[in-house]
Amino acid sequence: MSASPVTPLVDIRDLSVSFPQHDGVVQAVRGVTLHVDTGESLGIVGESGSGKSVSCMAVLRLLRSPPARIEATALSLGGVDMIAADKRQIADMRGRVAAMIFQDPMTAFDPVFTIGQQIVETIRVHRAVSKAEARSEAQALLTRVEIRNPASILDSFPHQLSGGMLQRSMIAMALSCRPQILFADEPTTALDVTVQAQILQLIKQLQAEFGMGLVMVTHDLGVVAETVDRVVVMYGGKVMEQAPVQDIFDTPAHPYTRALLASMPGQGGGRQRLTEIPGASPNPANPPTGCPFHPRCTVADTRCTAAMPPLQGNGLDRQAACWRLT
Amino acid sequence: MTAALELRGLCKSYPLREPGGWLPRYRQLPVVRDVDLTVERNSIVGLVGESGSGKTTTGMMALRLTQPTAGSVFVGGVDITSMDAAALKPFRARMQVVFQDSYSALDPMFTLAQIVAEPLHIHGLGTTREQTKTALDWLERVGLHRSYGSRYPHELSGGQRQRVAIARALVLRPDVLIADEPTSALDVSVKAQIINLLQDLQAEMGLSILFISHDLSVVRSLTDKVAVMFNGRIVEEAATEDIFTSAQHPYTRSLLQAIPVLNPRDRKDRVFRSREELEADIPRLSAADTGLTPADVPRLIPHGPGHRFEAIVQ
Amino acid sequence: MIPFILRRLISVSVTFVIVSILIFAMMHSIPGGPFDAGDMPLPPEVRATLNERYGLDQSLFTQYINYMSGVLRFDFGIPFQSPGETVLELLGRAWVPSLVLGGLGVLIGTPLGILLGIAAALRRNTWVDYLASAVATLGLTIPVFVTSMILILVFAVWLDWVPASGWGSPDKWILPIVAYATIPMATYARYTRSAMLDTLNKPFVTVLRAKGLSETRIIYQHVLRNSAIPMVTVFLPMFIGTATGSIFVEAIFRVPGLGAYFVSSIRTRDYPLEMALMLMLTVMFCLAYLISDILYAWLNPRIRAGGRKG
Repeated sequence: MSASPVTPLVDIRDLSVSFPQHDGVVQAVRGVTLHVDTGESLGIVGESGSGKSVSCMAVLRLLRSPPARIEATALSLGGVDMIAADKRQIADMRGRVAAMIFQDPMTAFDPVFTIGQQIVETIRVHRAVSKAEARSEAQALLTRVEIRNPASILDSFPHQLSGGMLQRSMIAMALSCRPQILFADEPTTALDVTVQAQILQLIKQLQAEFGMGLVMVTHDLGVVAETVDRVVVMYGGKVMEQAPVQDIFDTPAHPYTRALLASMPGQGGGRQRLTEIPGASPNPANPPTGCPFHPRCTVADTRCTAAMPPLQGNGLDRQAACWRLT
Repeated sequence: MTAALELRGLCKSYPLREPGGWLPRYRQLPVVRDVDLTVERNSIVGLVGESGSGKTTTGMMALRLTQPTAGSVFVGGVDITSMDAAALKPFRARMQVVFQDSYSALDPMFTLAQIVAEPLHIHGLGTTREQTKTALDWLERVGLHRSYGSRYPHELSGGQRQRVAIARALVLRPDVLIADEPTSALDVSVKAQIINLLQDLQAEMGLSILFISHDLSVVRSLTDKVAVMFNGRIVEEAATEDIFTSAQHPYTRSLLQAIPVLNPRDRKDRVFRSREELEADIPRLSAADTGLTPADVPRLIPHGPGHRFEAIVQ
Repeated sequence: MIPFILRRLISVSVTFVIVSILIFAMMHSIPGGPFDAGDMPLPPEVRATLNERYGLDQSLFTQYINYMSGVLRFDFGIPFQSPGETVLELLGRAWVPSLVLGGLGVLIGTPLGILLGIAAALRRNTWVDYLASAVATLGLTIPVFVTSMILILVFAVWLDWVPASGWGSPDKWILPIVAYATIPMATYARYTRSAMLDTLNKPFVTVLRAKGLSETRIIYQHVLRNSAIPMVTVFLPMFIGTATGSIFVEAIFRVPGLGAYFVSSIRTRDYPLEMALMLMLTVMFCLAYLISDILYAWLNPRIRAGGRKG
């Protein structure tokens, strides 16, 4: 007797997102399938133009459509179909069921309101709570994100705070309604190394404490090595590989994943030449035919130019899209 | 052998206006304090620090793009600190720079050939035809086809633009190249290309590079020697692998432990300390142990070959 | 804040003095005097007597000092073209129509322009946007005298809804007010539209959506607030410029306002009136900009709350 399958918290199937430009169409995401289960942390790794951020924005319907065209066999968040949902439902899901934090904390806040006002606003939009209660909740949240003088920060304007403080405040704001899943889009890219490490550790702790799902979008394999359970590697708008994080690092299957790992600097042993990946990222307005990585792949053959390889699994928890693996 | 670039006691302060009051009152905000740094010929030196450490300002002073408040800059043994524009010009040809943002570093109205040839034009080297040829040669040298010479910056990717910036910096065959975060804005797969390019060119030309960065992993693979800056001062300096394997200063250690792990099995929980705590945690050593004269102020003390770090000797 | 204001007031005073000298010099650099030309040329002896009576035979320096010391006592002299009253009385009389019509024009045109701009920004690239932008462009490019004549033609002559000209009863005010309103309306429509579009593209707006705020709330609570600060500060100088009367509007609608005097005082070499008008404008604009700056500093949290904390 098989158990009924549990609906994933985030279920994306065959998602495509395109943006018409005056001189053509930019295909940011081309048929992406991935999912996140309750309480699980997923890392989406990719370069700029890989479609990783756009995929997450599409789930929360944060892309203005039109002009964006969003198509998918399934695009659900907490069981709710986000393509069929109306504006009210979508606004209700955002912040309450799924929250998102962004890359540049310095531009993420409205400059004319204090941090406190903006956190309180988030709380009161979703729950019927008085201003005073919301404020004390906000203060507790700021303490939870390791801000030492929360009362003062509540009354500060964004321009008065450093990047690290703002990112912590943004995390506090995102968690204020206890979402089931947190999307983090390159949350530490704009921060110093030590601040980055603190923020990543904080996110991991909060994820465990709140029992949330986490989607960590990043270009940095180190971030993924630090924080997530499972990894999806994206390139040229498609998923290249998907596996538990240890497997991605120990036994990468896809040539792109291997090339990425090999080109990581800082592996010790002094000054050395790195294994580089020749060429440049594909142009989303004019992607290569077949597998998007083939122009830069060392083991590409004729099949790779002809058609996109399907994502094939090993029957368990790994999948890769590469003709060379079949 | 004279060093390619030497910084002695470099300091930079900016006047900050005190708020309020009738007549303007200023106090000095020190941004760089007493930096001594030597870049030997034919070597790559990393200058590492976080935001506010003063590393970029130090680089700018070395290039005389910012005037030091105190201290001296020596290029090939010559003191260029107070030279006027005319005397400085030939030295400018010997020191070049590559910045982080390749997009705003290239004038969008010029073709790539014109951009790379411009330094030759400024220093009056060769005829226009010769300059163009040299420029195209350099484009090839940095991995772009000669035909790119007639293209414009906006047609290139970030990595390609950075190659053009490097070509432009090296066309005058300088002795010193100062690279301020040249790979920070690049995609992961392109970072390695640029790092390798810099290494190859350095070896070919015997170039000296001062590589300013906050990315310790890149620095580890690229440099011979590293100086770590914190709050405007150098707090530790050593051969690269020594910094990574036997760092002495608490700030260096905190920086190293913050580097993301290379493999998930190495995950660990870290304890973080604030900048104030780190600032207060200056290593204290006894005069008896080190054989140095005691002093109340922290200073750089030696620890093994080519390795020194900031401490108070009591 | 207080030292800032006082420093600015001092600089206003300095500006005032410099401008007064410049105006005075330029005024007298135009050849001829107030009694030279005219329909009835005066005999030289009479002219000399008149010049002496008004102190025009003294050195420029003396004349300047005399006039300015009067100014400090709020005595602006007597207008040559209307010796029965003082300059102040003339200004008081003539300014009322300009202030009423121009002021109302700005007060009506500004909110209309803002609404038009908001509509255009929210319905970008639709017919609403194109209509609003067209209205704004026309308002700015069609000279106000052409607008005025079109208004008279359409509403007074063809439709006969309102009187064509004059000053007295409020129904005569309607057309001039509409004419005056076109410029602030057009300016604010364009300004509001671009300020709002600018703000809508900012990253924090995406964050607001990600928090689950409704689009309405985002626009009215956040976007407008962010766009408003520069718009508020542009208002006062615009008001001053319009409320001092347009010579065109006043000529066409036959309004006895201040506008005509700006030009006539130069033509008739009416030095006291000319000086008074220029000085008045100078002071009003300086104060308008000063108040705008104070308002901006107060509204902008970056300046009001101070700098970095942590």
